[in-house]
Amino acid sequence: MNAADSFASRTRAVALAVLVAVLSLTAQEGLAAHKGGAPREGQPPYLRDAFPSTYRPLPRSDTLVTHATILDGAGHRIDDGDILLKDGKIEAIGRGLALPAGAIRTDAHGRWVTPGLIDIHSHDGTYVEPLTTEDANSNDISDLSDPNAAGTWIETAVNPQDPGFTRALAGGVTALQVLPGSDPIFGGRSVVLKPIPAPTVQQMKFPDAPQGLKMACGENPKSEDAEKGRGPTSRQGEIAFIRKAFADARRYRADWDSYLAGKDDKAPKDDPTLDTLAAVLEGRIAVHMHCYRADEMAIMLDLSHELGFRIAAFHHAVEGYKIAPLLVANGVCAVVWSDWWGFKLEALDGLRENAAFIDAAGGCVMMHSDSPQVGQFLSIEAGKAAAAGRRAGLTLAPEHVISWLTSNPAKALGLDGRIGSLEAGKDADLVVWSADPFSVYAHADLVFIDGAVAYDRSDRSRQPTSDFELGRAPSPFE
Amino acid sequence: MTRAALLLAFLLAAAPAAGQVVAIVHAKAYPIAPKGVVEDATLVFAGGRIVSLTAHGAPPAGAEIIDAAGRIVTPGLMNGATQLGLGEVLGASDTQDAAVQTGPLGAAFDVHYALNPNSVLLPVARADGLTRAMSYPAGAATAPFSGAGALIRLSPGPDILERPRAAVFAEVGDSTLAKAGGSRAAQWVLLRNALLEAKHYAETSKGEGPRDQLLSRPDVEALGPVISGATPLAITAERESDIREAIALARDLHVRVVILGGSEAWTEALSLAAAHIPVVLDPEANLPQTFDKLGARLDNAALLARNGVTIAFSVSGNGIYLSYNAGLALREGAGLAVANGLPYLDALAAITKGPADIWGVGDHYGRLAAGFDADIVIWDGDPLEPASAPAAVFVRGVRASLTTRQTRLRDRYAPAHAGDGVPPAYR
Repeated sequence: MNAADSFASRTRAVALAVLVAVLSLTAQEGLAAHKGGAPREGQPPYLRDAFPSTYRPLPRSDTLVTHATILDGAGHRIDDGDILLKDGKIEAIGRGLALPAGAIRTDAHGRWVTPGLIDIHSHDGTYVEPLTTEDANSNDISDLSDPNAAGTWIETAVNPQDPGFTRALAGGVTALQVLPGSDPIFGGRSVVLKPIPAPTVQQMKFPDAPQGLKMACGENPKSEDAEKGRGPTSRQGEIAFIRKAFADARRYRADWDSYLAGKDDKAPKDDPTLDTLAAVLEGRIAVHMHCYRADEMAIMLDLSHELGFRIAAFHHAVEGYKIAPLLVANGVCAVVWSDWWGFKLEALDGLRENAAFIDAAGGCVMMHSDSPQVGQFLSIEAGKAAAAGRRAGLTLAPEHVISWLTSNPAKALGLDGRIGSLEAGKDADLVVWSADPFSVYAHADLVFIDGAVAYDRSDRSRQPTSDFELGRAPSPFE
Repeated sequence: MTRAALLLAFLLAAAPAAGQVVAIVHAKAYPIAPKGVVEDATLVFAGGRIVSLTAHGAPPAGAEIIDAAGRIVTPGLMNGATQLGLGEVLGASDTQDAAVQTGPLGAAFDVHYALNPNSVLLPVARADGLTRAMSYPAGAATAPFSGAGALIRLSPGPDILERPRAAVFAEVGDSTLAKAGGSRAAQWVLLRNALLEAKHYAETSKGEGPRDQLLSRPDVEALGPVISGATPLAITAERESDIREAIALARDLHVRVVILGGSEAWTEALSLAAAHIPVVLDPEANLPQTFDKLGARLDNAALLARNGVTIAFSVSGNGIYLSYNAGLALREGAGLAVANGLPYLDALAAITKGPADIWGVGDHYGRLAAGFDADIVIWDGDPLEPASAPAAVFVRGVRASLTTRQTRLRDRYAPAHAGDGVPPAYR
């Protein structure tokens, strides 16, 4: 192990120790006042947010965007439409809206407006570019010390200086979920961020967004475990492993219930891994499940019912089209690429029509990036996927397809009451596109987050640059 | 699609067109050279070659007529660098022939022996309009060489090899430092030394190389065509300093260099143009993926073309698009280059004539012109929009089926089957 690796390991150990310490402390604070017998005050440690958001919107003015082709994310298209942003919220949407006193007007004639895009599957901040040999041996995509990394919180690793955030923003992304990787079976807790770089992750954290738990089935975890010589080396082993982990979590949760009800004097020993799984059983954290094959997804659905966890979405879901009605019947979303296929055995049956076929069955489908490269071109991803569906005979209007990037991911994240569509009262997260957003030629001209211009293609002072990139790359303009 | 319709599609696709005279009429044709567009074009081909391209031309008597109805017609596309035909499942190394990690081979590693015409990846690329590609080695055992690349054509059937050893590939920069001992300085020393040894070997009687020669006989012989100027030396280089070293190497050793990658090539656009060094670049590369790519920009293609550098495209897509979707990704990349300042006609050239000229087949492929191979695509929309697709693809005059394993799966699982009592395996 070289010095850099050793440093990385120490850093990780310290981060974990801090995490555990914070959890224990908050648990004890909440319970300190109790005297035996009666129900105790407070809540079990697994329901607390250890790293609360300190996000503040950027400076903003009330804005009236006029004369745009609007796809509202709720299924409607408004030609020559206007939208009024007030105090960071959508005040009104329609035609011929009056310009209120003090508001500024943005003429979007010939341009398109959509809700801000939501990338439900990003590794920005942990798959930090540039990648170096330091990342080869230890990186922050997921913790690999155990197949069960449920006790990790990905936000404790996110590096806000990853240039991926600024690129996602320039591609029209206004919220993204950073997930741990798929090598552990239980990858850990996810976090939802706004791609406005700030010195700390808390400043980027979407206030009060639910966490998710990343889980993975299939090739990735079993090959990782086989390579490491520990943990399940087969798909059946993965299922047994999951069953055992949730059995432990069920007991742990019962112990806390018993203690908080006053039936038990001794508080259970705080366990970050079981905390997360208990919160899942409590229904407070939904599972984001990495699965490729249709048969595996069907097994996971049964397992989720047996063990009592909720799968918000299958991620990658390369064979989702094979079981579209099953996904619909279970109310589970599918998170897909437009055209990644073939690179491993479980991805051989990828179809460009995947999203369209799941959609046609009435499913909740959405695009995702999984890579900073794709994370800047999600609109093109949806365009490709929809085109394949149309070629297969399906009717897919732009005002419907936009839901694959907006309202559907909002729903899968449990944020559909706040973002994902342009409706009065919702957060003013939206994009003004130079053209039909599904075209390869379109640019995000303006990106609003909470009513503030977070990115302006025509104004370099409104294009955030990460500290890493500052003063580093050659530029033809300097 | 029903089974009968599928069968019909097969029959139509299999109809041999090689001897027949075919005229595509009412096309919006892009001949590539001369630059421009021919409205209401008539494109005639026979015997695998293009006979004529004329505006409002009358088709020859007896010709099979295909009415393009105003749709865009271009040459079949060429991807400047892929690994098509060299692998099936990226994650399963026993299905991969694109690289060797151990053994004696460097420049002599020659991928054409491994080409698999039955790869299911080829029909997918072809159905996206790709009819030609460079299939290049992903790496060899002796630094800094990767081996010799082969030009392929995506013809139906086993005959896909256009030209073996069309270029020798080498790679410098951060991703392959370890093989050269840990420094790019060593990569350049090894590369220059290899070329000097090959030059010496070519000038002396065979078998009398100096005892301290680093290169094995197969490797030094593989470099002979590079020394003679018959074959280009493709150097994967991203960082500005490496681009400059590649220019210097071409000048000092009188070899034809092609830059592959070239994230920061735009910084040296004028020097590259002056040295007639072309660049095969990834038009989607704009991230600082490694320290060698800090200057990666989406207008790389535009800046190079504006300054007179011949360009071609190869889209990596995390390595996936080098083999999977090598046709669709190429068009998307070209579209993104247009969105970032590359003139439309230059983008079309970068996926046809550009790579053809760079890899040495521009005398018979890459244009809609008399005497050129009848690699032709009729598009259902703008080919640079990834949402578009070919309506018909001809490779050397033969109409290719657009059926792929993926379209078979699509038809098997189409929503119209919802409620079928029969499992998909019986469809």
